[in-house]
Amino acid sequence: MHDRLGISVSGLFAAGVPFACGLLGVIVANMPVSVLHGLIPPPMFSLMPIYFWCLVRPDLMPPLVAFTLGVLEDFFSGGPPGIWALSFIATYALVDRERDAFAGLSGVGAILGFAAAMLAASVCAYLVAAFVYGRFPPVAPLSIEFAVSVLFYLPVAALLGWIHRRIVGPLRSEF
Amino acid sequence: MANGTWKIARGKGSAQLPLAIFAILAIGLVVLGKAQSSLFDRAHTLYSDSIAPVLKSVGRPFDGVGNWLSGIDGILDVYQENQRLKQENTRLRQWQSAALVLESRVQRYQLLLNAVPDPSIDAITARVIGRDNRPFLDTLILDAGKSRGIKPGEAVVDARGMIGRVFLAGDHTSWVILLTDLNSRIPVVIEPGNVQAIMAGDNSGAPALEPMAQGAAIKEGGQVVTSGDGGLLPNGLAVGSVVWDGSAFRVALLADAATADDVRIVDLKQPPEQPPAVTPSDLPAAAAGLPPLAHVAATPMTTTAPPQNPLPSSTPPAAQTSVPAAAQHGTAAPAQQPNGDDETDDHADQ
Repeated sequence: MHDRLGISVSGLFAAGVPFACGLLGVIVANMPVSVLHGLIPPPMFSLMPIYFWCLVRPDLMPPLVAFTLGVLEDFFSGGPPGIWALSFIATYALVDRERDAFAGLSGVGAILGFAAAMLAASVCAYLVAAFVYGRFPPVAPLSIEFAVSVLFYLPVAALLGWIHRRIVGPLRSEF
Repeated sequence: MANGTWKIARGKGSAQLPLAIFAILAIGLVVLGKAQSSLFDRAHTLYSDSIAPVLKSVGRPFDGVGNWLSGIDGILDVYQENQRLKQENTRLRQWQSAALVLESRVQRYQLLLNAVPDPSIDAITARVIGRDNRPFLDTLILDAGKSRGIKPGEAVVDARGMIGRVFLAGDHTSWVILLTDLNSRIPVVIEPGNVQAIMAGDNSGAPALEPMAQGAAIKEGGQVVTSGDGGLLPNGLAVGSVVWDGSAFRVALLADAATADDVRIVDLKQPPEQPPAVTPSDLPAAAAGLPPLAHVAATPMTTTAPPQNPLPSSTPPAAQTSVPAAAQHGTAAPAQQPNGDDETDDHADQ
């Protein structure tokens, strides 16, 4: 069903799904409830939809969405503003530049692809945090978050794939 | 069709311009955040105030699970732990009686010396309703805010020692920056030796110690307490003990923020600073060699306005007091100094 502008309601809905998934990831990861009493930091859920849809439907995951999710991540995490916004944009640039290489990965390779994206985000966040705080923060908490995020990407990628097939649509844009 | 409608024909690298724009925006946000760290503060407090009811109900089961998980390792050696606690309890009872004797002795000495009394300390009990453990931030959210008199900067303690301090206060919630957080820096004293230092968090479990003086003698096992410098935190709050990690001295904290459910927010009430009494010789008339009036000469001046006050009657009463000019202009540092000295003496007594 299309209106006069040629925009379908289902298309509008589908276009909002990647952002909604990212927003949900931001909220879930930053809900100030500690399941394990702070032993393990929450995974970076918000980066997973960015990476996923930046590969399969970059038209639905433009830089604006990545930037907005980064700003929201900064806000909800309570940290200094801009750290994750800049990190997400830097990661987006990396994935956008190497899309062919990332999109060709499957299985364990897909996990490694996300690990590379997460590593880029973590390194960027670390450097920005060092600039903001005026000293280098410890690497250990960020390393644990990196490991937890990569581990959680397995089930989340399966969920995102299901959402993509059922709601967004399997058609990949031509890029 | 929907996909066809939304298909954006982007060649490789077509997102370069938007990427550059948003990268510049993000860098601007970083710089703005560094220049004005309180950029999101108001929004944070509104956010925590609004989700406080949800956190109270949702967080309780998770707290239960967390307590259960953190207690698993304790179950395995419960007998040895029980024996150790009994011995420790016996030792602590001996120390308690010694402390009571010393406390009464210190009070007698203070009376004899007419020492400046310690500032009174009130405390508000609050419940931890949220925990945020991120790579660059280590915070708690409490269910008490401005409506209960919480102010930013106040110390937060549990039954064992200091946990952190309030850095944001909303109407009904407040955010606590933990001592382990990267942004936490508090002045402390290491006993014995009365070594002044700054305890700086670095998101590790044990904050680092940065002695104020070069070559300060810090020994492992020394007790770390707050120094009270700056007048925001009370002095003498237990923090932890000194440990050596092979490269630097750190503080093994007494309090465990991960398991703290109920905490106290310590409100340090500094006694109102009293200006020194003015004698008749301080009056301009006396200084000019004129004889003072009889009733003025008979009684030392207080903070009430004297009849000879040259200030016009439209001046507010507070400005008509005979407070020395230095104190009126906020340069009352010398008057604050005795308090600081007293703190040092207290530490020496400890």
